[in-house]
Amino acid sequence: MKLHVVFSIAGAEYALPFDSVLQMESYDGATLVPGAPDYVDGIVTVRGLVVPVVDLRTRFGLPRAELNLDTRIILTESRARVVALRVDSAREVIKLDIDKHQPAPSVVIERSSGFVHAVHPLGKRLLLLLDLPKLLGEDSHDSKSRALPEDDGSLDRAQLPG
Amino acid sequence: MTGTADLKEFIAAYLVEAEEHLTVANTQLLAIESAQRSGETNPRAVRETFRSLHTIKGLSAMVGVEPVVAIAHRMENFLRDTDRSGGTLPQLAIDALLRGVRAIEQRVAALSRGDAAAAPSEELLAALDSLGLGTKPVARSPVAVLELEPALLAKLAPFEVEQLLRGIAAGQRALRAEFSPSPERATQGLTINSIRERMAKVADIVRVLPRAVPMSPEAPGGLCFVLILLTRSTDDTITDAVGLNRGSLQSIVRTAPEPVADAEVAPNVESALDGAEDGPLDALSRRGVVRVDVSRLDDAMEGLSALIVTRFRLTRAIASLSESGVNTRELTEILKDNARQLRDLRAAIVRVRMVPVSELLERLPLLVRGLQRATHRLVRLELEGGNAELDKSVSERVFPALVHLVRNAVDHAIETPDERLRRNKPEEGLLRITCGARGSTRLEITVSDDGRGIDRAAVAKKAGRADPAGDTDLLDLLCIPGLSTREVVTTTSGRGMGMEIVKRTIVDELGGELEVHSQLGQGTTFTLRVPLTISIVDAFSFECEGQRFVVPVTMVEEIIEVDASDFVQLPANDDGSPTLNIISRRGAALPMLQLAHVFKLQSGKELSARKAIVVRRAGAPIAFAVDRMLGQQEVVIRPINDVLLRAPGVSGATDLGDGRPTLVLDLVALSASLTRGTPGEAKAASAVTQLPARMR
Repeated sequence: MKLHVVFSIAGAEYALPFDSVLQMESYDGATLVPGAPDYVDGIVTVRGLVVPVVDLRTRFGLPRAELNLDTRIILTESRARVVALRVDSAREVIKLDIDKHQPAPSVVIERSSGFVHAVHPLGKRLLLLLDLPKLLGEDSHDSKSRALPEDDGSLDRAQLPG
Repeated sequence: MTGTADLKEFIAAYLVEAEEHLTVANTQLLAIESAQRSGETNPRAVRETFRSLHTIKGLSAMVGVEPVVAIAHRMENFLRDTDRSGGTLPQLAIDALLRGVRAIEQRVAALSRGDAAAAPSEELLAALDSLGLGTKPVARSPVAVLELEPALLAKLAPFEVEQLLRGIAAGQRALRAEFSPSPERATQGLTINSIRERMAKVADIVRVLPRAVPMSPEAPGGLCFVLILLTRSTDDTITDAVGLNRGSLQSIVRTAPEPVADAEVAPNVESALDGAEDGPLDALSRRGVVRVDVSRLDDAMEGLSALIVTRFRLTRAIASLSESGVNTRELTEILKDNARQLRDLRAAIVRVRMVPVSELLERLPLLVRGLQRATHRLVRLELEGGNAELDKSVSERVFPALVHLVRNAVDHAIETPDERLRRNKPEEGLLRITCGARGSTRLEITVSDDGRGIDRAAVAKKAGRADPAGDTDLLDLLCIPGLSTREVVTTTSGRGMGMEIVKRTIVDELGGELEVHSQLGQGTTFTLRVPLTISIVDAFSFECEGQRFVVPVTMVEEIIEVDASDFVQLPANDDGSPTLNIISRRGAALPMLQLAHVFKLQSGKELSARKAIVVRRAGAPIAFAVDRMLGQQEVVIRPINDVLLRAPGVSGATDLGDGRPTLVLDLVALSASLTRGTPGEAKAASAVTQLPARMR
């Protein structure tokens, strides 16, 4: 059994392992960063860190939603990066039996651009489990983004003679 | 004695290090005790304790703190035997060892107060001796085996002589190495501390003896350290690893033992030096030395950042009080004091974070030594460090870039010895690196070689561009991403490998400057200018289409008023790039961009900029029109690291007190990305990825 945070986007319920979530916050907008990918709402300061806010609706290709009192950001940590995910609402932390995760049907994987890696039936509900590294990974970059390549130690490699 | 600086630094380090090892010894002894109470052994803790005491003994011998040597030596011996016999200690022994550690602590504390270290009590020594073995008498006369001046031999303790004799008997080589500290060597990273550290990796240091020598160019401080070593390494391995000249190593084993009169040993010939050592020790001990993890300093800086943000809020609150008619004169006075105090506090924290530039340079001689060997070049490295200091975090970022430039210089710029001779150059190439403060905010580093220089025409031709008009254009060309690749470098010896990475670090990341000056056949000089510190800067805040931004004051050349009637709009490009305007400033044409336009902030309505911020990129001014200026203040810059947020012109974020991040703009980088990063040119750049930056 593993704790998961459950949140909703456009009526569907998603889950992330609790250990990849730092905290949840209410949200009243971010500072726009010109030149960032369109699914990045901007930046917020949480715990002294400047973190990007990824709007999951836009990330999933859904229409943007207005801010309301339910809107939350979920602060996630993955591979030493801290990124906030903007969701419609987040209210629940529940224990899930990982053995009951089922592989996502291919149509779901397709529709979610591969961001959903498994599903978890829970009574009448169906939770979609997100692949966080993939969601935030570099490979998922829009061509529109003018982001520079990440400093991944290429400096060290380039130092080798030749 | 002019060598005191080196010795002083050395004793300061001794006190710090000794304290660290004492802490380890205490902790480990207690671990042994608690393990044994539960009926277990803890051989790892025994070995850790042994290592700490061994190090303390070595360090103490080097500064001549004999009482500590005597105590540590006995404890070390006993622990070595304990380790060999399974690691069990009787409780009595643990008590004695803890007493021994306490006795050393007392002596180290005395030294740091400026007092002499008292001789250990006979009772303690006897207690330690009774634990295991004392020192065994040496069977053979050391003088028959060791080739060492009587004066030095007299300084060696019996157990050290014994250690040497045993080592020699076991087939090890006994050597002496000499090192004279000098300011010049210190800038090359050669201090007795670094020598000792490196030496420990290739040899056992039996003893380090300081001795007074006549002042000479070789020993400007009149001070020389003799390191007595046992090793199985070759001379070459040792000199290479340590960075000493070959000639400074000498065997101390008599090849053909001849009988020598035993009684030559004169005690305390060097009492003059012993006396001199008290001077620096005295001065030092009054200043405590603390080693601090950088992250703790970051915490302090973080706390200060929070204070500054609170101050912004306070300022705002007072301003709104004042607007509503409240008399805020006294509050404003307090605010002024508060500002001054924050500035002082900030300066104090920044000072703690500063490291000498020599720390940056001291790792280079070893690098160059290795490169010479790998590339068959002969290179003379000249380092000029000076007394400048820079922030640890800047230093850490600059170093890889520096390594890069040094590698390129040795690898590609400096010719092979044969080729140099053919070109009437000295066989040995010269690589000169200087570091010095430029004003109070910047550090200038130059890396010059007397190699083949950059062939501009060839580079331009291969890059498919016009000949670079000047050095600025040449640098732009060299920094085209991927300009030179492995294949190119090995076949044509081009330079430019990874220059874009150097530029990214120095210019984009640190907000510094990079310049190149090269003359064909004569050599190349790279000049780097980096800020001494980062993170808190004086900045202008302004507003553009309802969003606030800040820009560091140092980037801004001028803030000018603009009027819609003042500027001429150039025909718009059809590729969606921002429209360029031309305004007239003091009779000269000045290109101007609407920031709102560049950032796509406005929603189609007519622009009504009132102010423009003028920055200068590579000598040419360019203006960015904004709505209004808000003020000037010190801001704490938080880096924006996430890959999702890397956008040209955005260098960080700050908090102006409204609880929301405000973007810190790098308008210089922004203008660079606009004038160079247009889609057409980007294509051109990627098409030349296989080309060398520099052809012979």
